[in-house]
Order: sequence, then structure tokens, then C-alpha cells
Amino acid sequence: MSVSDLPRTEANVLKGHEGAVLAARFNGDGNYCLSCGKDRTIRLWNPHRGIHIKTYKSHGREVRDVHVTPDNSKLISCGGDRQIFYWDVSTGRVIRKFRGHESEVNAVKFNEYSSVVASAGYDQSLRAWDCRSHSTEPIQIIDTFQDSVMSVCLTKTEIIGGSVDGTVRTFDIRVGRELSDDLGQPVNCISMSNDGNCILASCLDSTLRLLDRSTGELLQEYKGHICKSFKTDCCLTNSDAHVTGGSEDGYIYFWDLVDASVVAKFKAHSLVVTSVSYHPKDDAMITSSVDGIIRVWKK
Amino acid sequence: MDSDVEDYVFFGTPIEREEEITSRRKKSIAEASGHLRTLAPWKQEVTDEEGRRRFHGAFTGGFSAGYYNTVGSKEGWTPQTFTSSRKNRAEVKQQSILNFLDEDEKAEFEGKSFGTSLQFDTFGSTAAEFARKQAEKEQQQRPSAIPGPAPDELVVPATESIGVKLLLKMGWRRGRSIKDSHADSLYDARREGRKALLAFSSDDAKTAFNDAEPVDLEQSVNDDGQLSRCTPVYVLNPKQDLHGLGYDPYKNAPEFREKKRSRTSGHSKNGRTKALSIKDSLFGLKSGKVAPGFGIGALEEYDAEDEDLYGADYEFVDTYAEEDEEPSRLSKDVRKKLVGRERQDVLPGFILASKSDYQLERFDPPVVPKDFVPHHKFPGPLETDSKLAVPLPPEIPPPEDNNLKLLIEGVATLVARCGKLFEDISREKNQSNPLFSFLTGGNGHDYYARKLWEARQKRNDQTKLVSDGKSSETAQRLTAETRGKLLGERPLEQSARDSSFSVGSENGIQIQFNLSDTFTKSASFNELPEVATPFQDDPVKQERFERFLKEKYQGGLRSTDSGGASAMSEAARARERLDFEAAAEAIEKAKQRKEGSISTEQLLGSSGAGRMLFTSGGLEQVKDTQAEDLTNKKVYPRREEFQWRPSPILCKRFDLIDPYIGKPPPAPRIKSKMDSLIFISDSVKAPRLEESVAANNDRYSAPQSDAPEISRDVTKEIEADIQVENVERPVDLYKAIFSDDSDDEVETFNPKKVEDPEKKIEVANTALSHLIAGDFLESLGKELGLEVPHESPPYPTSKAKNPAQKETSNANAGGNANILPVDNKSSSTRNAVSRTSIERWMPDQRETAQEGKSQKNEFTPGNPLNVSDKYKETDKYKGEIGCERSKEDEKSKLMSSHHKNRSSNSSSEDERSRKRSRRHQYSSDSYSDSSSEYRDQHHSRSKGRSKGSSREKSSSRRKHRKHRDRDSPRRSHNDTEKECTARKKDKKRRRD
Repeated sequence: MSVSDLPRTEANVLKGHEGAVLAARFNGDGNYCLSCGKDRTIRLWNPHRGIHIKTYKSHGREVRDVHVTPDNSKLISCGGDRQIFYWDVSTGRVIRKFRGHESEVNAVKFNEYSSVVASAGYDQSLRAWDCRSHSTEPIQIIDTFQDSVMSVCLTKTEIIGGSVDGTVRTFDIRVGRELSDDLGQPVNCISMSNDGNCILASCLDSTLRLLDRSTGELLQEYKGHICKSFKTDCCLTNSDAHVTGGSEDGYIYFWDLVDASVVAKFKAHSLVVTSVSYHPKDDAMITSSVDGIIRVWKK
Repeated sequence: MDSDVEDYVFFGTPIEREEEITSRRKKSIAEASGHLRTLAPWKQEVTDEEGRRRFHGAFTGGFSAGYYNTVGSKEGWTPQTFTSSRKNRAEVKQQSILNFLDEDEKAEFEGKSFGTSLQFDTFGSTAAEFARKQAEKEQQQRPSAIPGPAPDELVVPATESIGVKLLLKMGWRRGRSIKDSHADSLYDARREGRKALLAFSSDDAKTAFNDAEPVDLEQSVNDDGQLSRCTPVYVLNPKQDLHGLGYDPYKNAPEFREKKRSRTSGHSKNGRTKALSIKDSLFGLKSGKVAPGFGIGALEEYDAEDEDLYGADYEFVDTYAEEDEEPSRLSKDVRKKLVGRERQDVLPGFILASKSDYQLERFDPPVVPKDFVPHHKFPGPLETDSKLAVPLPPEIPPPEDNNLKLLIEGVATLVARCGKLFEDISREKNQSNPLFSFLTGGNGHDYYARKLWEARQKRNDQTKLVSDGKSSETAQRLTAETRGKLLGERPLEQSARDSSFSVGSENGIQIQFNLSDTFTKSASFNELPEVATPFQDDPVKQERFERFLKEKYQGGLRSTDSGGASAMSEAARARERLDFEAAAEAIEKAKQRKEGSISTEQLLGSSGAGRMLFTSGGLEQVKDTQAEDLTNKKVYPRREEFQWRPSPILCKRFDLIDPYIGKPPPAPRIKSKMDSLIFISDSVKAPRLEESVAANNDRYSAPQSDAPEISRDVTKEIEADIQVENVERPVDLYKAIFSDDSDDEVETFNPKKVEDPEKKIEVANTALSHLIAGDFLESLGKELGLEVPHESPPYPTSKAKNPAQKETSNANAGGNANILPVDNKSSSTRNAVSRTSIERWMPDQRETAQEGKSQKNEFTPGNPLNVSDKYKETDKYKGEIGCERSKEDEKSKLMSSHHKNRSSNSSSEDERSRKRSRRHQYSSDSYSDSSSEYRDQHHSRSKGRSKGSSREKSSSRRKHRKHRDRDSPRRSHNDTEKECTARKKDKKRRRD
């Protein structure tokens, strides 16, 4: 994929959030996107047509993360009210609320089968919640982190959490072991490569670090952007050729995966870019910012 | 009613509810029939034509006005009857007006009883006429809400009867009762005279009306409690403010009203205000001063009354004529006044006490002793100040030897800092050392003297500089320093640094350093100095040094005696301490530099060089920070691996096999797999040793290692053990509590497990559910106060049993082993693997059986023996068919044994026992019996267990008798308590 293919032209602007947008995520097939923000709502959009479809209101405080099942039937969201809301997408009703985190919940993700939700909280724990049963108790509490867990990723067999204590911890359910990769810098976002071999971790020293998951080796560091005090997302493009991430000055950066050079950067927002999400198939990307706007970028 | 209707215009037809109409009609009909008339008047209801209750109006009586809707009284209009006869003369009734008055009217009447009325006014017409005229005149001058002359009808002036006038002339004042025998006519006269005077002096000449001016009732506060008798005085008060009608802003604060009035009137009409009095107000200050400018008669006495009246009055008018309306000003004015006259600072009604208890308490400053010098002198070496008088030694060129120069400089600084004592000590100590000859007047002494002087000078300058105190902060810091010295803390070096230091910008940094040095160190510094060994050659000294460091870094305070150095002389110790100090400093510096802290290179370099002479160890520590950074980078990312146990349900939801399936739920985190293995094998061994059956041990290990069929190694076996072991435990407990008869589920589960050990997933799932059940039951058991059996002893037994089960995949062996784990396990293993001979196998069984019996004996003491041989019998039997054991075999065998043993038992029991035996194909009946016995004995203890059906209980009781019979003599075989508990558990399991 050449640099020219990178989504750098604005295709749509999704306006509607009042206040900062904290996360914007494509759904599984990339036809829709979800956003959540400080206005305590979750919004469903069609980013390609720029249409706001639905608003999900129930959170008592800001919504920090949202994730949707692969079949688009359920949502999971979390936020400052320490609860995790399990939504029905079509009706917009809350099916279940998972309470148990002792503090704000920073991130949530479904597993592959949408049967388990993993949440990362400020209370230094990762919790797994069962969506199948009616229990609202966590089925697993992982509390080996030393500090707030900022981000969580799930694979078929693993739960991966990135924490402010500087570690990326991989919990392998199949093997029953925990791998702790200490990066030495607070990690505020982790993102899996599409081939599942690498983890991209955004550290608070304004560096993205690419780790080999099997060995724990540091493959590359990506610098140039500013990430010192905000949770700014990062991700790899769908071809794993580039790394992209937001900066606190409103810029979006693209790095070459291999040689870590900044191949593109452009000003996307006036304020801190909170979230970036790359389309699973096309060359499209959505970014969200503290300025309350979500922008859709295309080739 | 008709007229009522005519008054209104109705649109449309009124909606009337039917019931209402009908009820009303009924009522009216009833009334018409005279039904209601028989009722007492208060029960009758007055209705209008439509049958509604008569309503007089919300404020005029409601439904019942007057006397039950009639007249005002009970008598009503009934005329008075008059009867009089000769015998009975009618009394002449004296009727008074009071008979016809209401209460309030009476009160009014009574209050007016002394009032004048036109009725009795002789010259009524003229007097009224005159008063009216006066009123009109007054009206024109009075500010009024109604513009223009008020109509006569509205403004009815108080008419003055001649009597009133006479009374007034006699000194009577309004609001005062005549009865009041205020005999002080002089007083009244005086007052009148004063009033006349006032009126005279005022601009307005309407004195007469002034008297009629509003004077409130409260005015007569001073009059001796005659208020109740006072005649009310009606006041014509025009509405002058912008408040709502009836609203009185001064309702609760009348004093302000008075003030306000006086103020406003003071503005508009000076003359009239004079007549006003604010005597009644709180702030009506009883000024002790006669208002100047008012003529008080020369004869007048100067009493409190007078003061009240005029002093205050004048005061207020005066001030408010000048001030605006802001209320805050008022207080100001009052205060102003107070400043002038302290005596006025009394609330009305209070008098200033002539003698006050209150006295401002003052404390004398502490008496300074005469011999106190406000300058603290420190004992010991810190006498730098006093030595400043030393004359300036001549400038001396430094010696050629650079080392010597540095040494001299260093010593000089130290001496300057620490005092003469240090010099003495070093001199004494280094007498033989030629390098220190400068102390004793040798080479470089002059230079030393010069340096010493310089250092002292500098130190003095600095202290002076600081103590001069540009800021209070530094001054404070200094005092802390001195205090520190006093306490024996290490003094700040800022004052006595090397000559290379200037009191420049570095100073700030240094002070910080010193401060941190002087007091507690941060934790990061704690480790390193201990590593440093500047006195490697002298271990004792090194030790002392370390202690010194510890002391130094663990707290600001230092003990005077440094432990082991007690043998040393005072001087030597002091010297050594200085050495230590220097060494520690050097180490510190090195450390700090390594840490890349704020200290400047230059600073460190020079000081490091200075210290180098004393301690050579210091500089070795210096490292390149760059290299450090590099290593830091290499450190990250750092990978660590831990054991982590996912919850079974998580695994299930992820569709994965629980890697820890069947393992006991360990709360603590196991660091590595190796640990867990060690732990497990230990626990397996422990009970084995306890059993002290050495032969078993051999057999146990031998077949396993030899086993040709087994491809797995020992460790794996053990792992497998653990998996299965935990599967069983909760099931047992579960059964123990709930299911005596109906555990078909478990029944099916057990064989399956044994039959298909390869089907790991199924095992996993069942294990999972049972694990949960087990946990739940444990908690339940605790809740019920049930004694949850010891965990530790049963584990190993079942563990030992299980691998065999699993491994051999024989439908046979495992369950049997429950009785005595090790033995059975070995036996079953043998069965499965090597099919050893019966002879070898039999003694084992027997032994275990005996052991088992002896166990039981503990539970059933004092029973005669007779069936002990049964065990042997069954064992033998078992041994015979040991090689080929199938379920059917087992069952039939057990059946037969049952029949043998309990021919007397009922058929139902046989059935039950069959069932039981099917469940535990491997168990011998005797044990199942014993287990029931066990249960029986302990059923009071365990509610859950005693839930078993009564049928079972009764049958088991019957069994018990037998068992008791056969078991008791074996009591002498006493085994360990632990085995006992293990047995208990096994038995419990067996019972089901």
C-alpha cells in the first residue's frame, strides 16, 4: 500500500456530540461507527453517508469506550459511572449493567463469540463479564496490574491489557499464564496488529511501541506526535503497512510500520485527538476529538 | 331565591347530578312533612328552597350563623315576660349597657370609661368647632398622602373637651390615667413649662396642637406601671412611605421607626420633631448631657428623666439632619458618639456599673535574668565567631605540592567548620604523619594558618550575611541550622565550603543539598552507601563506618556514642567521625552524579577533588550517565512470565479447556509451574510416610515407573491426579449433604469418567460444574455450622488413588482405592498394569482392612468382636477375582457378600445396598456399613448429612449394631488422627 492510499481527505464530519468525543469505533464490517463521549451518550453513525442513526442514553457519566459485537446486535460501553452497559443495538435498551469496578472503567471489548466482555478499569483491574448468564458478577478479576488499566484487547485465547504501570500484560487462557511486558512508560492504549502477531502500545512519552507478542521484543518505536497526558488512540492500518495515531495537537500521524518514518501527518482537529479507528477493509478512517467532532477520512 | 336568580345571567343548562336532585327532593319532602321540625334546633338544617344547606358566606358564619342559623342568642327574639305578684314581687332589673355589649365592645367601653365624649361636653359645639379648625390648619402643614385639604369627613380631629384641657393644664398628660397619683406636680409643671419653651423656640407657633400630637402609648414607659389604665390616644398618621398598606417594616424593631420618623420630620419640619421622643427606643440613649441650645430652667434639677428626653432627642435630630438614610451610618454615628462619651455605652434599662469586675488582664513579660546575653554560645568546637579577632595572617603562596595544598585546604575548611577541636584532634592523631606536619608548625603551616583564617572569614561572612537576614525565611533556616548543631546534627556546609565556592548562584542548590543531607535521606540513597567500602583495609572501621552511615541516613538525630567505638578515645572518635563524614559525602556525591541530579559538574568536581584526599573510595562510584541510559533502554521491554489461573467459566466462554482443570483452587499466586509440582509431590509423599508402610511405598513407585503401557512420565501423572482429585471432592460433599438416594447423576458421571479418561473435555466440564458445586457447598456447610472435613489429609489419599484410575483406564480400580488410598492405588495399579499375583496383593488389602477397622473403632468404642474375619474373607474374595474385575463381577460379589453378611436384613435394604454398591462398585460392603454408622453417629453434628431419609437411617442403625459387635476389639490398633479423618471422609463418600 502506498502512501497515497492513506485516508487523508475528509469525507464526512459527524457532529452531534456535545462535548468531547472520547472514542469512535468502526463496527465489525466498517459500515457503521460508534462514538461515545462526555455528553454521556453513545451514538451510532453511518460514517460513509454522514448520518446519525441512533443515540444511546443511559450512562450517568461520561462514556469512555464502546464496542460492538461482530453481528452488530449488541453494544458494550463503559465509562465514568463505573458501570458497564450491555445494550441491545436495535432497541437501544440496556440489557444488563455490570457493576463491580471500583472506579472508572476505561475500556471494554467483546471477545470473539461475544460471550465475554473484558473491561479495564482505573481500579487497576481487568474484569471479565459473562454475557450469557444473567449474573452481573465478574467471572474473572485480574488484579495484577499496578496502576490503572487503560486499554484492553482480546484474541481468541488471550486477554491483553495495557496499564499505566508501564506493562502490557497478556493473559493466556489456554495456557494459564500471564506474560508481562514492561515498557517502562505508562501505556494508555494498546492495539493489535491485524495479523495478531504484534501489539502496538501508545506510551505517554510520546512514543508508540510495537511489540512482538511471542517474544516480547520491541520491534519499533514511532515518534513525532505528542502524547503526554491524554489517552490518545493508535492503531495499525488494515494492511498492517502503516501505524497511525492521534496527537494532542490535533494532528494525525502515519508512520511506516517498518522504518518508523512519518509518512504523513495532517491536522485533523483543533483539539486533542482522542480516538482513531481504521476501517477493517477500506482505506477509511474515523477520528474523534475533544472538540466534539468525529471526522471520516478517505482516500 | 327568585331575586337571587335574577341577579345572575346563566348560559346553557346547568348540569345537575341526579342523586343530588333526588336527595334534595327527598329532604325537602321530609321537611315539608314536618319530619325535621321535631328535631332540636341544633340538629335542624336550614335549607333553601332547593334543599341545599343555607350558606351564609365563608367569613360570615359559614353554614351556621348566629344561633343555629337563627338569631344571635339562645333567647332570640322571645320577648321578656314580666310577672309580678304581691307575694312575689318582680325584682326591678337594673339593666346596664353592659348587658347588651359584646366582649370586645365591653372592653372598649371600659377602656373608654374615663374618656371624654362630646356627650358631656358643655361647650361641645364650640370646642369641636375649634378643634376642627385647628385640624384643618394642621392638615395643610402636615405632609399627606392625600393631596389637598382632606375632607372633613375623613379627617376628624380629636376634639378637646374642656375637661381635658383643664387636666392638661393641671399637668395631666395624655396616655396617663388620672388616677395616677403622680404627686410630683413639680415634675409635671416642669415638663409643661419645658414643652412650652420648646414650642416657643420652634418655628411653628401651633403649640396647642403640638400637645395633641401623636405620642405613643409606650411613651409612658417611665410612668410607674400604669400602662393598663392609659387612655388610648388616636394618632393621625399620614402614610408617607412607599411600603404596602399595612406593612410595617419596623414591626419588630420600633426603635428604628422612631428614628426614621425623627429623621424625616427633621428634614421636613424641624419644629415638630422636637416634640417627638425616642425615649422608648432601644437606642434612645440616656445621655447624661443636656442638649445645648435649649434652655433648661435654671431651677431645673438635673435628673435622669431630663437627660433622657432631650439629650437623645437632640442627638438624633442633629445627626440625621446631616446624614443620609443609610442604616450603616447610624451605627457609625452611634460609635462616634460613643467615642466621645463612653458612659453612653449602656443599653436602655441598664446602668453602667460603677464598679466593674472585668479587668483587662495583662501579663508581664518574662523577667530576663540579669546575666542573660542574647547570644548563644555553643560549647565545644563551634567557637568560630570568637576567634575572628585573630589578626590576618600574611598572604602565603601555596606549597608546591598540590596534594599538600589540597590537604591543607581541606583541613582548614574542616577546622573552620568544626572548630579548634578538630585541629587538635588531627594534630594529635597525625603527629607521626609527615603529611600533617603543617598542623604542628611544619611545612605549610603558614599556608594552613592563612587558609584557616580565610575559611573562617568566609564562614563568618556567610553567617553574617545570612543572619543579617534579607528574608525571614533564611533567618528561619539558620535557626534551624543552629538548632541542628545544638542537637549534634551535621551542620550545613554552606557556611564553610572550600574556597573554590562562591556564594553565588550555586549556593541555592547547595543549600538544598545540605538541607537534604542534614536531615533524613530520601529512600533512593539508602542502599548505595552501604555498598561503598572506603575503609576496606580496616574491617572494624568499615563496620563502624557502615553503622555511621546507617545512623546518618536513617534520621537527623545522631547518638553521641557510635556503638562499637566506645573503646576509642573521645578525640579519636571525633576524628573518625569526621573521616566518615567526608567519606560518606564523597560517596554521596558520586551517587548523586550518577543519578544525574541537579548538582552542577563544577560543584561536584571541586568538592570531589577536595574530598579525595580523605577518602579514596568515593570516586570509584562515578559512572557515566549515558551508559546508564543505554542500559535502561535495554531493560525495556522486559518480559516476565507468571502463572495465571483463568476462571473455569472464562475458559468455557472462550471455548477453551481450562488449563487448571481439576486443580485445587489456590488463592495465592503460584510463581512457576515448578513450584506447584514440588508442592504437589510433597503432599503426596507426606501421608505416605505417615502410614509408615514402607512396602507400599516401594510398590507404589515400582509399578508406575516400570509400567510398559504408560507413556506419560511421573510428573504428568501427578498432574493428572490433581485434575481428577478435585473432581471428586465436591461431589462427595454434595452427596454427603443432599443426596442419599437420588444421585443418579453422579452415578452416571463416575463410570463415564473412569471409562473415558481420554475425553478430557467432558471431564473438564463436569469437573468444572462440580468445582463450583464444591465451593458452594463448602460455604453452605460453613453456614450451617457443619464441620467441613479437613482438606489436607484427604487430598493426598485421593490423589494417590486417582492416577491409577486415570491411567489404567480400568473401570475397576479407582473407587475401591478410596478406602485406603495408597494401598489400593498400588493394588489397582498393579491390577491394571502388571497384574501381579494374588498373594502379593492380599496382605495389603488385609492390612488396610485392619487399619480401617481400627479406625472405626474410634467411632464405635466398646463393642464386642465377632465379625472381623469378614474382612479377610472379602479381601480374599477380591484377591481371587482381582485379575478380572468387571462391574458385574464386582456387583455380584458385593451382592453376595451382602447376602452373606446381612441375611437378616430386609429386602429393601438389600436393594439399597445394591444400589449403593452399584454406585461404588469397588467398595466393600463393610465399609459402606461403617460409613452409615459414621453418619449415624455424627448426624447430630451435620444437619445436611442427617437429611438422609429416615428409611436409610433406620436400616443403618440396624447395621450398626452388627458392626459394633464385630469391630470393637480392634480398638487396640490405634492409628493416627490424621488417618482417621481421612477415613472419615472416605467413609462419607462411601456411604453414598
